[in-house]
Amino acid sequence: MTASARQALRLSGISKSYGNVRALSNLSFDVPEGRFFVLFGPSSVGKTTALRTIAGLVPTDSGRLEIFGSDMTTAPIAGRGVSMVFQSFALYPHLTVYENFAYPLREEKVAREEIDRRVKETAAMLKLTPRLERKPGTLSGGEQQRVALGRSLIRRPKILLLDEPLTNLDAKLRHDMRAELKRLHRQLGMTIVYATPDELEALSMGEEIAVMRDGAVVQRGTPDELYEQPLDTYVAGKIGSPHMNMIKATVSADMASFETPLGKLKTSRKVKTGTAGEAALLGIRPSDLKIAAKGEHAIASTIHLIEPLGDVTVVSVDAGGETLRMVLPEASATAMKPGDALPVAIDTTKIHIFRAASGQAMT
Amino acid sequence: MSSSASFMERLGFRKASGVGEAGWGRTLFVAVIAFIYFIPVLFIIFTAIKPQNLALSVPPTLSPTSFFGLIPDQYVFSPTLENFGSVFSRSMTTGGAPEDTGFDRYFFNSIFISSVSVGLALIIGTLAAFGFSRYPLKGNDTYLFIILTTRMLPAIVVIIPIILMFRTVGLSGSYIGIILLYTAFNLAFTIWMMKSFFDELSLDVEDAARIDGSSEVKVFFKICLPQVVAGLAATFVFGLILTWNEFLFALLLSGADTRTVPVAMNQAVSSGGRGTDWTLLAAIETLFLIPVFLVTFFLQNHLLRGVTFGTVKR
Repeated sequence: MTASARQALRLSGISKSYGNVRALSNLSFDVPEGRFFVLFGPSSVGKTTALRTIAGLVPTDSGRLEIFGSDMTTAPIAGRGVSMVFQSFALYPHLTVYENFAYPLREEKVAREEIDRRVKETAAMLKLTPRLERKPGTLSGGEQQRVALGRSLIRRPKILLLDEPLTNLDAKLRHDMRAELKRLHRQLGMTIVYATPDELEALSMGEEIAVMRDGAVVQRGTPDELYEQPLDTYVAGKIGSPHMNMIKATVSADMASFETPLGKLKTSRKVKTGTAGEAALLGIRPSDLKIAAKGEHAIASTIHLIEPLGDVTVVSVDAGGETLRMVLPEASATAMKPGDALPVAIDTTKIHIFRAASGQAMT
Repeated sequence: MSSSASFMERLGFRKASGVGEAGWGRTLFVAVIAFIYFIPVLFIIFTAIKPQNLALSVPPTLSPTSFFGLIPDQYVFSPTLENFGSVFSRSMTTGGAPEDTGFDRYFFNSIFISSVSVGLALIIGTLAAFGFSRYPLKGNDTYLFIILTTRMLPAIVVIIPIILMFRTVGLSGSYIGIILLYTAFNLAFTIWMMKSFFDELSLDVEDAARIDGSSEVKVFFKICLPQVVAGLAATFVFGLILTWNEFLFALLLSGADTRTVPVAMNQAVSSGGRGTDWTLLAAIETLFLIPVFLVTFFLQNHLLRGVTFGTVKR
């Protein structure tokens, strides 16, 4: 992650429309070599189109695509050194696992003995050796996923594109595969661009995340940066679970206190661009709310929903007409029941301030 | 209802509970129904091995064997293969020397003409279907509909202009003429069948092949075509059966040398003014069944198997 790392991938101002539907709009980002880079956003935000553009499956309307410094905007698919794992796995159903692995090598005219060696090596790496003579249709979902991964890795691509590769797996398998993918990334060190609508996958796997909206990148950064300093309410709402509480507020003259339905709140962050009396939204992470200790400044609230999640419990409270979600340790929530009064304290150092009109951060 | 239900159960019918192998009762019931449908074919085959003089006997002889005494002797005939011999060679006048009937030629014609024309239709139609499926034209559905309309008119309606066209360009009576006609005749069906098979394939799989370095031609031959082998087999068999049995075009457009079996069959039994030789007709029909039966039998695995089943989640 040094600053001198080569750029594996650079997209500048790429746009793509399907008829009247704009899939990518002025999409720009770059990915340093060796990075595990996540494209994150809800479905139909342009993630898949972005990956297909990089692979060369979709011609762009405008913009420029560079792979390791050379212009690949209109280059043929084969020469790009890019491979891709599809959400549907897209295995060749009429070929055995062995032949699925061998296919990209045969297309590259690799010698027979070399193909055999690499197929067996890949199968061993993905624990698929006993399955080599089977057809994909007879494999479990997790095995099919590993075959898809192996077929993409066997060519030793410079860049690996993964399009929601875990979406079709069940929850347990998804967890295992997350660890497996991180291990493979560490072991093989290639550049990975990973598209996912799943926040957990994005945060747990991405070294760097680009949050997408309407075919463009809204904010990019490390998981911590996105969590600590979301640039707008869209990113703030997408990153972090349960979602950030948003409270309507009015900026006071000192640019650090706010009139809210919860009373007057003073934050340690200051509004940088704004005027007194302007409408704002205060974002408070559920984990930054806690039960007020005696003597601490507290907001009176009433519990209305309790969701135990095992080690933690999500408690929703009503305060001043707003609903706040807070995450409490399981032990401190066992005695609670809906209707109880609960004094809540806010960690005012962690409050995020957004402009109500645009949703942009004001700090 | 309850009494009839228990009666059905006593017969071996099981209550519906998910999918399972049918019991003996059901299997027997289906076998009986299937046998009833098979009786006409069986009757033809038995007639083909009957002595000629018993063809129209009253009471009719029903079986070449008594099935261990199950069938009374008066209904049993002793089987003969004589009729099959007369298909290819028999005396045309009473007491005359046996003559070659030309049926070996007609069988060759039927096999040659139908396999070549169905094969051609399969090659052209599959390519066209892939085009319609993957590279749709503006108004794609309109083109497909127009192609289908060629099969809406019965042959009898279009036969006169076709005869005139064939006469004018000199295609009447030639192999190339009848093969071209049958190819065109099969194309509409082939295109529609194969397009539906190509439509079923996952486009991601083709994109995966492109990323793996395949050209469009390779994507077609190495990825798409192997996935629709079952479709190719089914289309081939259906086309073959249609062409094999076709009578009207063959009657009017084939010449003496290019005559197919259905036409020759008609002429063999209706000429000579000696009445219909039923055992001869049955022998021709039995021989005529065999090639299509064999093709269907050897392709049945492909007909039944969906090769893409379960490999792609959608």
